[in-house]
Amino acid sequence: MLQLLVAGLTVGSGYALVALGIHIILRATRIVNFAQGEFTIVGGLLALTCVQIFHANTWFALAGATLAGFVLGLLFERLVLRPAARSGEIPLTIATLGTVSILLYGHALVPGWGSLPQPLPAFSGDASDALTVGGVSIQIQSLWVVGLLVAALAVLYLFFERTYYGKAIRAAANNPTGAQLTGIDVTSARALSVGLSIALAAYGGTIIGPITLVGGAGGTAIAIKGFVGAIVGGLESPLGCVAGGLLVGVIEKLIQGLPGVSYGISDPIVYSLLLIGLLLRPQGLFGARSAVRD
Amino acid sequence: MIARLRADTRTLPVLAAIVVAFGIAAAGNATFAQAGTYAAIFAIAAIGLSVLLGNVNQISLGTAGFFGIGAYAVAALTTSWSLPAWLSWPLATTIGIAAATLVGLGLGFVALRFRGHYLAMATLTFGLICVGVFHETPFFGGAIGIEDIPYPRFGALTISGYPAYWFAWALALAVALLTLNLLRGRSGRAFEAIRNDELAAEVLGVPTRRYKILAFAYAGALAGLGGAVYAAFLGIVVPDAVSVPLSISILLMVVLGGSGGVSGALIGAALIGFLDISGHQFENVREVAYGVLVILVVIAAPGGLFGLIRGRARTPAQPVPLAATAPLAVTPPAAASAPLTLAHVTQRFGGLVAVNDVSFALERGTLTSLIGPNGAGKTTLFNAIGGIGRLTAGRIAVAGTDITGWQPHRIAALGVARTFQNARLFGEMTVLENVVAGAFRTERTSFAGDLFALAASRRAEREATERARATLARLGLEALGGTFAKDLAFGDRRRVELARATASDPWLLLVDEPAAGLNARERAALTADLLRLRDAGMTLLLIEHDMRLVMSISERVMVLKFGTLIADGKPETVRNDPAVIAAYLGASYAPGTAG
Repeated sequence: MLQLLVAGLTVGSGYALVALGIHIILRATRIVNFAQGEFTIVGGLLALTCVQIFHANTWFALAGATLAGFVLGLLFERLVLRPAARSGEIPLTIATLGTVSILLYGHALVPGWGSLPQPLPAFSGDASDALTVGGVSIQIQSLWVVGLLVAALAVLYLFFERTYYGKAIRAAANNPTGAQLTGIDVTSARALSVGLSIALAAYGGTIIGPITLVGGAGGTAIAIKGFVGAIVGGLESPLGCVAGGLLVGVIEKLIQGLPGVSYGISDPIVYSLLLIGLLLRPQGLFGARSAVRD
Repeated sequence: MIARLRADTRTLPVLAAIVVAFGIAAAGNATFAQAGTYAAIFAIAAIGLSVLLGNVNQISLGTAGFFGIGAYAVAALTTSWSLPAWLSWPLATTIGIAAATLVGLGLGFVALRFRGHYLAMATLTFGLICVGVFHETPFFGGAIGIEDIPYPRFGALTISGYPAYWFAWALALAVALLTLNLLRGRSGRAFEAIRNDELAAEVLGVPTRRYKILAFAYAGALAGLGGAVYAAFLGIVVPDAVSVPLSISILLMVVLGGSGGVSGALIGAALIGFLDISGHQFENVREVAYGVLVILVVIAAPGGLFGLIRGRARTPAQPVPLAATAPLAVTPPAAASAPLTLAHVTQRFGGLVAVNDVSFALERGTLTSLIGPNGAGKTTLFNAIGGIGRLTAGRIAVAGTDITGWQPHRIAALGVARTFQNARLFGEMTVLENVVAGAFRTERTSFAGDLFALAASRRAEREATERARATLARLGLEALGGTFAKDLAFGDRRRVELARATASDPWLLLVDEPAAGLNARERAALTADLLRLRDAGMTLLLIEHDMRLVMSISERVMVLKFGTLIADGKPETVRNDPAVIAAYLGASYAPGTAG
């Protein structure tokens, strides 16, 4: 049971970061980024490249992937989101789906990446190293994942609460016109938000890399599960997104751990949560009533 | 007919000719014939999504789910029952389409609660759940799917290999024709109205929810048919083949080709469907290119490839033939009750009381004006009467029928029409189409009637167009008939909106600030129009700020201030009412007070 919980929190950390990334982009641009999961995959692969090229350890790769993710995010904002924003919400959504197509099939073309998942070296010792606590063996890597998630959250909290740029980004997201009038460069704040969000995706893809492997075609599933977490926890609340993401991970592992239950049934159940969550949380999602308002 | 369907209608024969030419050329080339067959299969599904996305403005990432339902219905049924060959595939396909339609109705019902990216998420989830079900159900073969699906056979003809190309394209083109029928009829006009302005459509009597659900069901049915042909052609169905990438792929086809109508979907599906099969050596590069292209299309060419072709050959606005002026036919309900009765109507938004305990009844065939300072709650009261928003308290009756809590389209169907303060015309429809759309409630055709272009449907369509022309002629607007509403001058917009509102021969008309922004000549024309409507027996309630106009044409004037009715009577009485003067000019101007 405890083992399942830890496993759940481990994969949930990845979902939590995706949920948080979706939240940040949604706040800044009012759009759900369907490519968030693919950026997570690409982030993990970037870390792999750092390891292979510089023969560096995973820590260095984590920094490199996060930085590269940030740059990738800026490019994504400048080349896709910003020009497509004029066309409206549905075309913008479609543009993020186009990005999914580019990243999903494009990463298989990159030398050294390929279409099959690959292992990322462990943060410390061996990927299979485990700690036995009260008769339960816990992978050391899981502890790193959860620890790194907490570290990222702490840094983000400080950034958004304590720094000028963090506050500017929040102001620009809350009220673009008002922020603009007080002298905040809303366009840059938006770009920065997307950069930050994709950096988070890359960070998330790297920290779970030693356990779940990096690369492969699972990006959409990650994105959806991150979104499930965001919906369950509350799309407008950053902490809710993180909690929801962790919860989705735990639920997934618990279902998979149930005796006599087929492994594959967990995904449909988790996805159903999204539909149920969407239906039960009308605030902000229930558009029908506002649709018939003058 | 919707103007942008004209290009579609003209292009379809060209596309059909290309299909035939390609088919003849591919006679000896198995790869080409196969690729062409896949293109047709995807085209069937893409047309459905094109209608949903381009004509109704609803996104769906669940296409593969419906495709899967059709494919699995054929796979599971034809491999498990032993029916005669000629019956097996058609029956299984019918069942598959029926199932996809039902699921589409269900999804449409749920999807009504979402818009934009939430709708995308919800439909994507639906697709994932479908795959999960196929994957986990032994009846559907689990992860390995179902193989050895028999080819459809009709007598000596087995639909496989080269004949399958013709079979699939015959179906795809038939679907295209039916879809054009649908879009040309009343249903298509309802779709177009919803896409342009959902609220205005609803207020004109279009049951917008029903039509959105129908669009989902139609898209589902076509995707199901696509899946049924796919299963029979390929002979094997696996869960992964009907998963999210297929949904995204079909969406890319539609966006790339140009969403809305059938030509864009056919072009997109033919292109990508063909490349998918014949371009194996470009795997991955191809998909990256699709992604880049779609982003470029979204940014630079929202009409897709077909939009680019059509854009060059754009036809100028076509003049509408003149029609004889028809007399207004106002048929008030037989009941002796007042046309409109409000009893203690209150509308609160949070802490703000926009309308406060308002009660009045209108007399038949009269023109009543509702005046009051800005923010008095006049438009809110109109919205309340029209069924927009939920009343906080009170009851509203139209000709004795209690309509409290009704949806706007049901109220409109009783014969209640309105115009908006900001003239909410359907910008991408012509003036004539706007007016035909206004007569929605008087047209009696069904979805199926439109789809199969039944005689009754076509006759109703002709009659509706004739009536709309007569309405335009009555208002002297027939010269504008072929102009797109978005290109109209301001004053014309208002008059066209009045034409649209009266096209359904309503007996109660709510007019919101019709004179705002009009010049003197336009104002005189408007006054004449309004009086003519009243003389024909219509009951009018008018919101207006132009006091000269109000005082000259109203039989009765009501004054609203901060949501409360402070005066109600003949124009001259209201004009001299101290409370009214105080409301407009301040207390010190009111007679009888020191000042």
